[in-house]
Amino acid sequence: MDALSREPVENAQVIILATGEGTISGADGFFSLSVSHKFPVELSVEHITYEEIVLTVESNKTTDLILYLSPKSTYLDEVTVLGSFENEKPYRTETISAKTITKTSIADIGNLLRREPNVSGVRKGAVGIDPVVRGFKYAQLNVQLDGGTKIEGGCPNRMDPVLAHIDINDLENITVYKGPFALKYGPNMGGVISLTTYTPRFYEKFENHIEAFAGGQTNHTGFKSSFGVNGGNDVVAYYVKGNYKKYGDYEAGNGEVITSSLEQYNIGGKLAVQPAIGHTVTAGFDRSWGRNVDFPALPMDERKDDTYLYNINYFGTNLGNVVNYIRIKAYDAHVEHEMDNKSRPFSDTLVAVSQITANNAGGKFGINMNVLKGRVEAGVDYEQIDKDGVRTKYLILQPNLPKIYEDLWNNASIKNFGLYAEWQRSFTSLDIIIAMRYDHNVANSDTLIRGKENGNVVYENTNTGSAYNNFSFSAGITWHINERNSLMFSFGRGVRSPDMTERFIILLPVSYDPYDYLGNPQLKPEVNYEADLGYSFIQNKSGTLQVSVFYSFVKDYILGELVPPSQVPPQTRGVLGVKKFTNIAYARLAGFELSYATPTRYKWFARFNAAYTFGVNPEAVQYVRENGEVVDERIIDNDPLPEIPPFETNISLGYGFFAKKLVPELDLRVVAAQNKVSEANYEQTTPGFITADFVLSYHYHEFLSIYTGVTNILNTNYYEHLNRRIIGSKGPLYEPGRMFYLNLRFHL
Amino acid sequence: MNRKTTFLVVILMVLSAACSKPYPKKITYLATASVSAYNLQYLNKQNELAKTEVVPQSVQDVWTYEFTAEEGDIVYINGKYGDINSGLKIQVLIDGKVYKQESTVGDTINYIVVSGVVPYE
Repeated sequence: MDALSREPVENAQVIILATGEGTISGADGFFSLSVSHKFPVELSVEHITYEEIVLTVESNKTTDLILYLSPKSTYLDEVTVLGSFENEKPYRTETISAKTITKTSIADIGNLLRREPNVSGVRKGAVGIDPVVRGFKYAQLNVQLDGGTKIEGGCPNRMDPVLAHIDINDLENITVYKGPFALKYGPNMGGVISLTTYTPRFYEKFENHIEAFAGGQTNHTGFKSSFGVNGGNDVVAYYVKGNYKKYGDYEAGNGEVITSSLEQYNIGGKLAVQPAIGHTVTAGFDRSWGRNVDFPALPMDERKDDTYLYNINYFGTNLGNVVNYIRIKAYDAHVEHEMDNKSRPFSDTLVAVSQITANNAGGKFGINMNVLKGRVEAGVDYEQIDKDGVRTKYLILQPNLPKIYEDLWNNASIKNFGLYAEWQRSFTSLDIIIAMRYDHNVANSDTLIRGKENGNVVYENTNTGSAYNNFSFSAGITWHINERNSLMFSFGRGVRSPDMTERFIILLPVSYDPYDYLGNPQLKPEVNYEADLGYSFIQNKSGTLQVSVFYSFVKDYILGELVPPSQVPPQTRGVLGVKKFTNIAYARLAGFELSYATPTRYKWFARFNAAYTFGVNPEAVQYVRENGEVVDERIIDNDPLPEIPPFETNISLGYGFFAKKLVPELDLRVVAAQNKVSEANYEQTTPGFITADFVLSYHYHEFLSIYTGVTNILNTNYYEHLNRRIIGSKGPLYEPGRMFYLNLRFHL
Repeated sequence: MNRKTTFLVVILMVLSAACSKPYPKKITYLATASVSAYNLQYLNKQNELAKTEVVPQSVQDVWTYEFTAEEGDIVYINGKYGDINSGLKIQVLIDGKVYKQESTVGDTINYIVVSGVVPYE
């Protein structure tokens, strides 16, 4: 636990010094270790933001230890990327610390996540990269902030997914929980991406600190910066921080200039009060602005994005022997999003401006107790999403400058009420976890309608209501075979209801294929039955090796189905027709992750990971095209699912000079060609590529750290398989070519 | 000044320099080259459609309208003349440079429109 706030400390590394056996504390701060060495044993507890403690455990009897970690007053720049099975959680997680963010030139959270095994992203511009985890994406992933705050983006084409509303410099860490197993975070069908922003820290005596960051780069020329002040005493703590970033276009490896300029800034703060030890109330706000953000692979650019986040949280411990802690949370996230085609050639004849408001408000109550010789966390959560949007078309070549108004969403609303419980228990060599979740999901909208200029109705749907009762569960077991080797197995059923786009979008090309899409209010929820098997070897002399394989059977998988043009004609120039979201019987996905990292005790380090996912639609429908029209359809058996990334491996090598004050690091990324593409969807293959990055970290002293590097050293001309195509061109959206950068981090 | 104050001042100066706003653009509508009366319809500085009838004294007469606009604002002007033997030339200037122009002389289609979006830099 945090010695000052009494909050649980996640991802603390606990090691038996004599043998190197170890584990990592979970989200609730708990850990367990079975010890083969004779007592007494020395335990080391390390965490990136806390002082290390070493203690001696005298007894060989089963003992509950409560360890209090003191926050570090100095700033550490050590890089921590943990790919691990969370303690007592027998499924794969990936954790990225803030220190990783500091040393990189990356300005987008989605882009940063793409470095993790089996995490990829859909790129449509320089930022707003939408994460894909083990082939699951969009609403199949539960992306949340600070333990439950959710954000509904405005753009139908997801130019502003959840991650786009958070500044990368505000993050303390990111954890990706893979699979449908972590159910206390809300409805979870394919995985959870949990972002944690900066946290006010209590101090014994009143202190103030200043933190600043400035980073500039060539290619995608621009900079990112942040400035924050934090401090407090043992009763009140605060944190105020602002970020600003601005970039121009970038040049790909072949010299092609990719339109990708942007400007984003925000200011936020948190105020925490600790009226008594173990009881903390925190209120936070964040106001962010996005301006003129280019998306060359979408029909529009983001002109204006205004986001308002508010939240209040209570966390209480010291509640007796039965209750470990209570969490209460309420939040409101409001997005006003405006986009247009004013920078596109087509605006010479028709100027289109879309304005969308999206609101997500909700809350959560959770209680963690000692029950049945284990620990149970149970609670309720609620989320309400409201969305409305209109597109205005200005026909600027016609007399009287006519305007046409079209609904994108029409006062659509989704409400989700959930009940959850997660029980964990540790035996001598076994950890067991069982979780259950029930969700009641209700959605409705005003009439879905699209009219024409002459008053004719192209499409109308008044049957917009739906309600679902979803039941999810998961169970997992970790078998600690001995001090170093563990086996994990998890099985789960995760259910998620259709999202705003899938239910209510009105004739827009919102997917990777050239069709106008129609929402389907009567879509059924998707159900993911998944099994994971994992193995881990942890030893402080040899390092950490982890392997995981998964198999997923998704019932009622959601895809688009062609609507005959006689029923609904397409409304967007250049599309082939109209597709309506529908459920197919099922789809299958499978894959693996493999990772290895050397121990942190050595001056040199090496990290390696490899990952692969393969997805299949057992009975895909191909719409045969001729001269830009759909003329027939045929069935393709076992067609690969579209938008699945190829096999990838990453290797990092480095050495710490002068007590690790000067650390050069070389990163290699090898990505295979993706030839397993969806024939039914005319998906194109993607060539493989190799990139190399170099970064030099120099910790001048505790107040200043310097990071300089070059990305894409070989100036490789490449693009990721999930990058969308540039609008108005048959060419791919290439990734940036070679880039030099310099980051400075100050801390006083 | 102590170290923290100096640091704070430097950071604020850098940030204020970075947050510069683009300058507004001077938009000029020009209509000329007509020997008889014509009607104009244009987006004015209030972003509303305005109408006016122009009766030129000679073909050299120039009707102008100026206002300031931001990047991304729509500029729009159309002209229509009744005399088939007349003509009309319309220009839209941004900061004194011709952005778009159209002209017609003795055409049965006695209507021209010049429009677009003030470009982003």
